[in-house]
Order: sequence, then C-alpha cells, then structure tokens
Amino acid sequence: MSLFGGIATSSSGLSAQQLRLDVISNNLANASTTRTADGGPFQRSRVIFRPIVSQPYWRTPFLPESLDNGIGKGVRVNKVEKDTSPARLVYDPTHPDAIKTGPKQGYVEMPNVNVVNEMVDMIDASRAYEANVTLINGAKAMFSKALEIGR
Amino acid sequence: MFLNTNFGKTVDILHRAMDVASLRREVIANNIANADTPNFKRSTVNFEAQLKRALDDEKTTVEPEAFVTDPRHISFDQKLDWRTVMPVRQLDYLTQSKSNGNNVDLQQELMEAEQNQMEYSLMAQAATNEFNQLNIVLRR
Repeated sequence: MSLFGGIATSSSGLSAQQLRLDVISNNLANASTTRTADGGPFQRSRVIFRPIVSQPYWRTPFLPESLDNGIGKGVRVNKVEKDTSPARLVYDPTHPDAIKTGPKQGYVEMPNVNVVNEMVDMIDASRAYEANVTLINGAKAMFSKALEIGR
Repeated sequence: MFLNTNFGKTVDILHRAMDVASLRREVIANNIANADTPNFKRSTVNFEAQLKRALDDEKTTVEPEAFVTDPRHISFDQKLDWRTVMPVRQLDYLTQSKSNGNNVDLQQELMEAEQNQMEYSLMAQAATNEFNQLNIVLRR
C-alpha cells in the first residue's frame, strides 16, 4: 500500500508500451523489405503483453483467500511474435525477387505489413504511454500533498 | 489522548480513507498498465459504501430490542464498527469491451485516477485543517 508501488506499476506500463512502439517502428521501416536472412519477405512482429501477478486470475466472485492474487504489479512483455499471415503479392516481373516459376510467376512477395494498421497501433501505444505518464505525475502530486499535512 | 474525541475520530477516518485512496491508485495504475493485455480483467476497490453504512449504524437503533438472556444470544441490532471496515478489491470479470477479452476502458480509468487524486488532495487538506485547529487551541 504505497504510492511508490503505483509508480512502479505505471513504469512497467511505460517500458512495455515503449517496446511496442519499437516493434511497430521496425515493422514500418521494413514495410517493403522483400529479402530477409530466413528467405522470403519480411514478416511483421507483434508484442504480446501479460500481467505481472504471482498467480493466475480466477474468474469467480467466491474467491478463497489463499488463491487471491493480490494487487497486480503491472504488465510485462510475454513475447514478440511473428505474424505468419500470407505475404501480399505484387505483379512486378522485373523485380530481382520476383517468383521465376510456377503459377505465381512474375509476382513479388511483399511483407504482410499494413501501414494503416501499424499507424493505428502506434497511436494506441503512444496514448497508452501518455496515460501511464499521467498516472505517474498524479502519484507525485498526491505524494507531495501528503507531505504538506500539518504544515 | 485524542482517541475518544471528534478530532481523533476525524483524523482516523481520514487516515483510513487516504490509505484506501492510495490502494485504489495502485489498482488503477495496474488497470492502465494492462490496457492492451489480452484477457486481462480490471479490478475495482470498494470501501466508501461500507464506511458510510458503518457510520450510519452509529446513529440508528433497531426497534424492538432483542430480549437477551444469554451472552450467546444475537442482538437484532448488529452494528458495523467503522474501525473494522476494510477495502475490498473486486475483479470486474463479467463485462467485455474489446475483442481480446480485455475490459479496461482507458478514458474511464483516467477519469477515476483524476477523481482519486482530487479526493486524496481534499482529504490531505482536511487533515491539515484539523491539525491547524488543534494548533489554535494549543497556542493559548
């Protein structure tokens, strides 16, 4: 039960959203990368979050005390996952990475990055970041208010 | 020294309510940090309603009184002592507002955080005023 606990929770949210922004900017930077080390076009990544709790969440109102997971301690990044949805095909036979044979001859496999989706995700991440910053500032204001008691 | 005075009671209630406000802030901070976590469910803190019930209980009496002939008999008038009221954290697991099973509404949480902060400031100010009044008396 402390204000510093709240600040720690918010700062875990800050670093998680920061990492999300980094991943989104990597996706956008590689929006037209057709050649990667693994072969094939670039595949977009996405960040999976998970809450920091000592125990899993129990979905019951009749919660035994021993199973109570306490106050959550924030968020952390579970993993950065590759999106394996199919690549976008663009017809460009002169491209060096164009498919040479088969029914898809002349098509280039472009990354499955949708720029509009990435931009929307980016705004979502930066708003969430701002929300966490607001909470940290508020906690600081509350703390200084408490220090003024009796002054 | 001040335990049975109005001053002691006010300061004690303010103390408890401010503790609950900082607990609630921690819960709101956790909700906001997990605003994008799949299958996360938001929590809330309930305290004020119970405290009000306990404080109302002090003023009212239940009629008729129970005829008690044995210490193990239970009185009709079960008073709730405000010193025993504890904050209760509740998981809001029934609603769903996003397709990923998460039910955190960022606007609502931010508004609650703002309200919580103002309540905390108000209570801190009220505590300051209590102590200032005591100072006036002590100076004479």
